[in-house]
Amino acid sequence: MAVPKPQSSSMFGKKRSTTSVAMASAASYLSALSQADARARGSNNPTSGSPTSTPALSISSSITSSSEDTVLREEDEEEDNSHGLSLPTRPPTSEQVFNTVHTEFGHCAQEAYRMTSQHTPGEEVPGHVEQDPPYYILLSTYVSYLILIVLGHIRDFVGKRFNAKAYYHLIPRHGYAPLNSDFDSFYTRRLKTRMDECFNQPVTGVAGRTIMLLDRMSPDYNHSQILTGTRTRALNISSYNYLGFAQARGGCADAVEESIKRYGVSTCGPRLEGGSSDLHTIGEGLVAKFVGMEDALISSMGFATNSTYLPALVSKGCLVISDELNHASIRFGVRLSGAHVRLFEHNNMNALETLLREVISQGQPKTHRPWKKILVVVEGLYSMEGTLVNLPRIIELKKRYKFYLYVDEAHSIGAMGPRGRGVADYFGIDPRGNIDVLMGTFTKSFGAAGGYIAGNKVLIDRLRVYGHSGPYAEAMTPPVLMQVIASMASIMGVANPVAQQPQNAPLLSLTSSSATSVSSDGYVHPGPAPLSSLPNWLILPEELSSGQQGNERLRRLAFNSRYLHNGLIKLGFITYGHPASPIVPLLLFNPGKMNMFHRLMKDRQTPIVTVVVAYPATPLVTSRVRFCVSAAHTKEDIDTILRACDEVGDVLDLKHGIPKRERWSLEEISDRAVEVAALLK
Amino acid sequence: MSGAHEAVRGITPTVASALEPLFTFLASALTILETVFNKLPGSAVIQRYVKSSHQNDPGRTILELILVVFAIRTLLQSRTRANGKNFIKFTDKEVDELVDEWVPEPLGQPLAPNEQADLAAVPIVAGPNGPRPKLTATGKTALNLSSLNFTGLAGNEYIKQRAVETLRKYGLGSCGPPGFYGTLDVHIDLEKDIADFLGAEASILYSQAFSCVSSVIPAFCKRGDVIVADRGVNFAIQKGIQISRSTVRWYDHNDLKSLEEVLNQVEKDRKKRRGPVTRRFIITEGIFERDGAMVDLPKLIELKYKYKYRLMLDESYSFGSVGRTGRGLTEVYNVPATKVDMILGSCAVGLASAGGFCAGSQVVVDHQRINGPSFVFSAAMPALLAVSASEGINIFRSTPSIFETLQENVRAARAILDKVDCVNVPSHPASPIIHINLKSQGPVSASLHPSSAVLSPSKHGKDNSKKEWDADAEERILQEVVDECLAQGVMVTRAKRLKNMELNEPRPSIKLALTAALTRKETEKAVTVVKAALLKVLGKRR
Repeated sequence: MAVPKPQSSSMFGKKRSTTSVAMASAASYLSALSQADARARGSNNPTSGSPTSTPALSISSSITSSSEDTVLREEDEEEDNSHGLSLPTRPPTSEQVFNTVHTEFGHCAQEAYRMTSQHTPGEEVPGHVEQDPPYYILLSTYVSYLILIVLGHIRDFVGKRFNAKAYYHLIPRHGYAPLNSDFDSFYTRRLKTRMDECFNQPVTGVAGRTIMLLDRMSPDYNHSQILTGTRTRALNISSYNYLGFAQARGGCADAVEESIKRYGVSTCGPRLEGGSSDLHTIGEGLVAKFVGMEDALISSMGFATNSTYLPALVSKGCLVISDELNHASIRFGVRLSGAHVRLFEHNNMNALETLLREVISQGQPKTHRPWKKILVVVEGLYSMEGTLVNLPRIIELKKRYKFYLYVDEAHSIGAMGPRGRGVADYFGIDPRGNIDVLMGTFTKSFGAAGGYIAGNKVLIDRLRVYGHSGPYAEAMTPPVLMQVIASMASIMGVANPVAQQPQNAPLLSLTSSSATSVSSDGYVHPGPAPLSSLPNWLILPEELSSGQQGNERLRRLAFNSRYLHNGLIKLGFITYGHPASPIVPLLLFNPGKMNMFHRLMKDRQTPIVTVVVAYPATPLVTSRVRFCVSAAHTKEDIDTILRACDEVGDVLDLKHGIPKRERWSLEEISDRAVEVAALLK
Repeated sequence: MSGAHEAVRGITPTVASALEPLFTFLASALTILETVFNKLPGSAVIQRYVKSSHQNDPGRTILELILVVFAIRTLLQSRTRANGKNFIKFTDKEVDELVDEWVPEPLGQPLAPNEQADLAAVPIVAGPNGPRPKLTATGKTALNLSSLNFTGLAGNEYIKQRAVETLRKYGLGSCGPPGFYGTLDVHIDLEKDIADFLGAEASILYSQAFSCVSSVIPAFCKRGDVIVADRGVNFAIQKGIQISRSTVRWYDHNDLKSLEEVLNQVEKDRKKRRGPVTRRFIITEGIFERDGAMVDLPKLIELKYKYKYRLMLDESYSFGSVGRTGRGLTEVYNVPATKVDMILGSCAVGLASAGGFCAGSQVVVDHQRINGPSFVFSAAMPALLAVSASEGINIFRSTPSIFETLQENVRAARAILDKVDCVNVPSHPASPIIHINLKSQGPVSASLHPSSAVLSPSKHGKDNSKKEWDADAEERILQEVVDECLAQGVMVTRAKRLKNMELNEPRPSIKLALTAALTRKETEKAVTVVKAALLKVLGKRR
């Protein structure tokens, strides 16, 4: 933990008027603190302070940490709170202790704003419902693209003849073909360049609840971008930070710092050639426990986890059945494997069954030989649609059709399920015996990087030897590993140390992680992590090791996801995806609205950064903005976003969802937030 | 129309009068439609066509209509036609039976006992890795000749301190792909540092070196483009080439004469076919991962200009290891980096951090920001790793003496190894990666297996057909050497490969990675242990 820095200058800058003591110096701040403490102790009545009436000053409790550290930031960032992001809207009471930085992980003490991410048994899993907008929207969208394509090609045709200089890199010259054909790069040049301000925005600092943008401008129609040197703090509803572990302070960051001191920055080499560390073994054992599989392996990059391990699972003569919206890394890996690929309609289980019946009965093309094996690859949560895989149905199909199941939990691990163990946890399904391969990444929920593959021990050992990453790719670095271990342990909670801790470090051999240790260290899925499965030097603060903070994160994320999703629907927007999904796509349709939406959100009093995606990442008509909700957001943050969407939606004519009479007003949604979140779609 | 109208009125006047406004509306709508139709450009043509085909004969119109319906049906059908030829129609019951009968192979076969043993023998470092790591298997420290730490940056205190500072400012993960708020200022700084250091115009950072290489290739090389590549390129390049779907021509490993022949041949072929100019690439490595050989860069560049190819040079093992200040091959041969179109490198190998990069012109780099699959679809690298890499470059700039130390160690090691009779060292004398092959005991297999060329499973069987070694047996011998070294306190490793997946399998070898973090004395001591182990194990065999 950082040493308390008694600084008062910007402490609750705006709210100072509500307090009687003007804090001119550090000394007066400290004295005010002690007075507040005295009051808190003296009254000995935890209910005395209602959230709104308690003076802002009493934020500190006598218990622990440097509470001023949790609202102040580094000295060089002296900013006011005009954007309303630095300070909590609702000042905390004396019994509420926040040890997170508000701009990284929002302060929210309201227990009502919590939910559990869990499937209600018997409830049907929604497939992918595509809600159509009014016809004029569809028509204008098509017309927009038509104009774009026709004018673009005319401009290319004319430009190449009369303004050759601008097309220099697209014309063959000196016997070299251009690196980029004008046809291939058409959308890049004609559509993406126009909305370049929405992409590749440089940022600095932690990508937590808020993010610091490095402002930029383009003097030449987006051909180049110049940093202006100023910065803007914005509410971040775009980063993959589901559980809010993107933090520069707190227990996980402390553990990472310790790991850097102990292990350095790199393990120097591929896993099989001298780059294996005991931390890898520990991490892999913990991941296996977390996801509930026998064994797991860790790879240093999420994309590479799919692209380098899929080829080791299937080969020529095998069939991969892949959801049509699967991530690029899966396609990359499958293409490298040489296996035959068939696609099925997104999350449509009937289409999957029809296809399965066809491919099994027909066998391999031409020869009609039976397939060696069939691997169905699905994602737990789809990154552009927010749809949740219909796991119960797939497992039924699996029993009948004997295929192998590979679930890519890149977005769902940590984010779904009452204990954060992914889609299987959400549906209450034991992954062991039902799912063959669980793959996931650490980038999204754990605030780290890299990915894992979990399965039975025989399979994972095979992948260690036959996956491309083992012998050729760099191993995961110790700081990243430590972030994974610490954040994962804090979600799981650590089992109370039995009277005496085992003195020996966990089993250390590349192959031995869990087959034996699962039973020996008494881990029961999905329970807390046994102490012996963590590095013996690791000391996690109480709120992490008890699993209490992890649990709060999970419940906050579940509430925020449902609240934003249902709130947008109630406001009249068209959204896609499962209401429990932290990915909330809001449909824009017209390509021209993407830039506008992005800009209107960013230029508000409270700037909000958004991700807009269009063709070719989505189907032509369904351009959308994608929100990624985080546990770090407070209910007020979601309100801010809803208000912004409401206003921008009116300006851009985006509300084509439920009819007007069924819509709720913004105030109604905000006041009845708990009710809204609990709504079933 | 009006006749019908009258008729209707005659039959039921009441209904007809009620319908009157409807009929007048229909009549007016028809006239409006007709005038609109007539106003449309080209409507006269259609009218004329319909009239001339009709010719007062409804049969002709019906025939026309049938033709149109047929045409539409064929169009709709054509998509299923492709797999239809082979399609066997089954009843549901038959499908059920086939489903019941089908037994898939297990998803993963258990490892063979020797593979299992190899996996178990992989050394695991307890605590920090570096020149003298502690191994979990023995609990003792060993001299490290296997981890990639050429310049000894691993464990550097200043880098660690900077990493902690960065952690406290940026947290750990970047939480997003570079396109969507994952681009940090430290990434931009590192890209600039790399470009400046190499003397290239710009560079782009990937979060893993292996994926960098296999992603850069398909970003540029598309179907129909020509790739001329060395037969001995590393696995990442092979995979990149495979996924690019370009036309590939291979030239003999590190043989630029062979390269020139291939280039000539490609040009001839193109002229024969009178094909358009396509993108053409030469892809090779600076120091080869598989044997440590070094490519003759000036000659390569000469050829590239002569035949108008673009050059992709994978410097994963040469960046941060050779050259006076570690700038890699361009520095060794004193060639401006701008002459190489794409320089690929690894921050994980040369800078003891993580990630890979591609340096080149601004156009080359910008192109990848949209088209490099593992750049676009992957989260950006953690900030502290980017800063560690930047600090590594700073150390290269300020203390080039580490490269002298490294080279001194390389020379010392080679002086010992080159004297060992029973092995062959194919690596370049300056390469800090030293491969040790066993020497063949005479031309055994060539005479024993005259038909091996035919039986060779590889498509590009040229090298394999000449194969004169028994890979499995040699691997066992080398593993014994590795185990022996480990017992003597020196950590070395065999070059680990993916069996049957490499384009053509290199001869099994022991791969030494030297480091400037060991003194010359220590290096000599360690390499002498390796030599002794080699002699001991091989002596036993003979």
